[in-house]
Amino acid sequence: MQRSSPASRVSRRRFLRTVPLMVGGPAVLLGVACRQQAPTGEVKPPAAGAPAPTSGAGAAPAATTAPAAKSPAVAPPAAAAPPTAAPPQLVATTTTSGAAAGSAAATGMMRPTDGTPKRGGTLRIAGGTTTSPHFDLHQGATVHPLTHAYNNLVRKDLTDGLRTLIPDLAARWETSADNLSHTFHLRDGVKFHDGTPFTADDVVASFNRILSPPAGVASVLRSQLDMVERVEAVDPRTARFVLKHPSLIFMEVLSQPAMVVYSKKAIDENGGDLRKAVAPGTGAFMFKDYKAGEKWTYVRNPEYWDKELPYVDTLEMIDTPQLSDRGTAVLTGQADMTWNGSVDTWKEGQQRKDQITVAQIPNFGAHTAHLNNERGPLGDKRVRRAIHLAVSRQNIFKAYENQEPIFLGRWMSYASPGSPTLDEIGKLPGYRADKSADIAEAKKLMAEAGHPNGFGPIELLSATAPWAAEIMAPVFADELQRTLGIQTKIRLIERGLLIEEYKKGSFDILVETQFACPIADYTIAWNDYLKTGGSKNWSRYSSKEFDALLENLNNESDPAKQKALFQQGMDHLDQEVPFIITGFTAHSPMWRNNVKGLVLDKRVYVEWGRAETAWLDRA
Amino acid sequence: MRTYLLQRFLAGMVTLFGVTILIFVAMRVLPGDPLAMMTSESGGTYVLTEDELQAARSALGLNRPYYEQYGRWMLDIARGDLGRSFWREEPISDLIVRRGPITAQIAVAAVLLSWLIGVPIGILSAVRRNTIVDYISRVLVIFFVAVPAFWLALLVVLGGVLIFNWRPSLTVVQFWDDPATNIQMTLGPAIVLGLGIAALTARMTRSATLEILHDDFVRTARAKGLRERLVIRRHVLRNAMLPVVTVSGLALGGLLGGSVAVERAFGVPGLGTALVMAFGQRDWMVIQNLVLLYGVVFTFVNLTIDVVYAALDPRVAFR
Repeated sequence: MQRSSPASRVSRRRFLRTVPLMVGGPAVLLGVACRQQAPTGEVKPPAAGAPAPTSGAGAAPAATTAPAAKSPAVAPPAAAAPPTAAPPQLVATTTTSGAAAGSAAATGMMRPTDGTPKRGGTLRIAGGTTTSPHFDLHQGATVHPLTHAYNNLVRKDLTDGLRTLIPDLAARWETSADNLSHTFHLRDGVKFHDGTPFTADDVVASFNRILSPPAGVASVLRSQLDMVERVEAVDPRTARFVLKHPSLIFMEVLSQPAMVVYSKKAIDENGGDLRKAVAPGTGAFMFKDYKAGEKWTYVRNPEYWDKELPYVDTLEMIDTPQLSDRGTAVLTGQADMTWNGSVDTWKEGQQRKDQITVAQIPNFGAHTAHLNNERGPLGDKRVRRAIHLAVSRQNIFKAYENQEPIFLGRWMSYASPGSPTLDEIGKLPGYRADKSADIAEAKKLMAEAGHPNGFGPIELLSATAPWAAEIMAPVFADELQRTLGIQTKIRLIERGLLIEEYKKGSFDILVETQFACPIADYTIAWNDYLKTGGSKNWSRYSSKEFDALLENLNNESDPAKQKALFQQGMDHLDQEVPFIITGFTAHSPMWRNNVKGLVLDKRVYVEWGRAETAWLDRA
Repeated sequence: MRTYLLQRFLAGMVTLFGVTILIFVAMRVLPGDPLAMMTSESGGTYVLTEDELQAARSALGLNRPYYEQYGRWMLDIARGDLGRSFWREEPISDLIVRRGPITAQIAVAAVLLSWLIGVPIGILSAVRRNTIVDYISRVLVIFFVAVPAFWLALLVVLGGVLIFNWRPSLTVVQFWDDPATNIQMTLGPAIVLGLGIAALTARMTRSATLEILHDDFVRTARAKGLRERLVIRRHVLRNAMLPVVTVSGLALGGLLGGSVAVERAFGVPGLGTALVMAFGQRDWMVIQNLVLLYGVVFTFVNLTIDVVYAALDPRVAFR
């Protein structure tokens, strides 16, 4: 029997009065949360070569205050304030001796310029750290968790925003008059973490392993060193690289973070394969511990050759695959910095100037739509050019604005030395915001190609990852349908399986992030992605004219002539359109204001990894 | 009783054998293998030649016949060796030992919480049927049943970050190392998951209690002059607990496998997150062994439920 007293009965009216309260409570909470999460700041394109927008104490006044934004939150580059400086020449002149400059930087002694460094503490970096399938940087291991333990021969200066090429394990270097021989004089007193002294034999063993890998070793860096004929030890303190032809990118390639020097002893002891354990390096930090899916721990190397560095005692890299977790980790003080936070947490950080500093840094990776040049109507360059003209990059940026900032790029990142400025790119057909003339021209080309009303459906292949499947693929498909009447059928597969599809060419259009370059100079990327038979020529583009241009580019030793060749190449590619670059990404680092010494707000391009100049400003 | 348990145990063993076959075959049938994922990890930045791919495949033992791969796995299991990850070669037992306690802690806390909240609310709702208490509890129950746990988790994390400038730890901190941090890490997921299960528990408790309140033995107990509280506690509750035990047991089994969405939302590195990562990397050894572990856990939990059933209702043991 159900017992109830009249007093406890609830009338219909009384009950209805309570419902809004119960429903309203969570709704108010949600509303508060959403309001607080809503974009409040403007994100401008990071200016290549100029200080990126920053916030936080100590940032330059011009950069600390983001202009009040109405909409959109991520301003299309064409509408936003364009970079005022031309992209920097990132390739330092390699024909001069590194010691000639005579400054601390010239001898590879990086010194922070943002205060008097304090020693001690643990620097905690939030980032994706567990994607590496092994520990061998020369075989493709993820670079940024490992690079702290190693040195290159030369590197970019962390304390000037990666603008200057400086000595690392090489104390200085000389280049022959014909630019074919580079002699590196190695630092004295350098030891690997296991106590083995560093000599020229280590340099030779490391680079020979890249150039002529033993059986079972996958040398993923070999193509970047195609210009090297041989590496030799002149004496225990001198190593020489002899090139097949002069190369403007050689020194730049040596400075890229994966080109570390391993010890000959470790290479020999492991049969040339360093995948299974973190090999001892010469770096400022020594590997201590690794927990998959959690964190890497490094400790200060007390025997580091630069006695001043590093400043922090411990380095922890916390595995946070999701960008939002990285951002919230910095916001709440669980991490001191992240190389790339989510857009919403980055904006929240931008609001908390008293605690957090943020920046945006141009990256060398691009979102692309690869058009299969060997299949159907896309084999006709008029159709490809029509797509290039009709697709609005600005619409794509807008659709993507809450995911990641992306910006215009003309066959190379706008932070590359050969690139026009964003302002200049934004005025070009295909790239400009005003599409009226471009779409008219595109329709004309489609009619000439025999497709006045479009065609389709053709297959648009995309990864299942939300950014691809839910944003890039449908937005690109919509652009094609709306402007040119090209119908597509989207096929989704797991991202890891896409590489087999690239290799087989079993797609009409492939939406991915497949146009990346390990260095600022896009010669490597152009050879990989655009040369006939190139290792990553997923679009199957083939042009004798462009191949000849690439040959010239590869052999060019005059920066001015190289720039002219880049210009010629870009003009050519805009006409032939092997694939569509929908936008170049920028990363959004965030750090607590007490993190000093890395000047992330001044970086000219993204480089995750070494942090020996970082120090913690503790009260 | 012993025969009954032995039967259940043997049935569990057969189930586990089926699980090993299923997961082993599923991994080989699904497109992509560990090597494909490793080589695609760089997003196509590096491209291996066919020879290099074959050499790497051979090094991982992926070119052996399937029956040999399965046999080796079973042999390793029999020896108590769970093998190593294809990626980075860390022992899988280390992964389980390190992350298992966090997941188990969250699961047990969530189920305990669900009992603490769900059972009293269910009983109260039943004995005060059609009163304001009942209406409020039913609305709350429907709300928490309907709201996905991951959404609630996101709200909690968001509120923590924006209002309290707090978020749970992103790395594993065991209770014995740092109890305060460990509780901060596990409490959020436990509450979020616990609320969802509590809603189900309350619903089950309410309906079971309502049904039993009308049974003859309850009327008899009241007729004997027992106080209502005693009637509920001694006679109604024990009988009403049977379906609740089932729900809680299944929930516990599921949670011990790790609640992926909630772990991801809170950024807690539990076993669920490890399994998702392993799937993304096609790390077959990790997947196979974690799925087998879940199979063992479910079998054990089911066995425990059977024992509890028998304890609550002696008639069960004789069936």
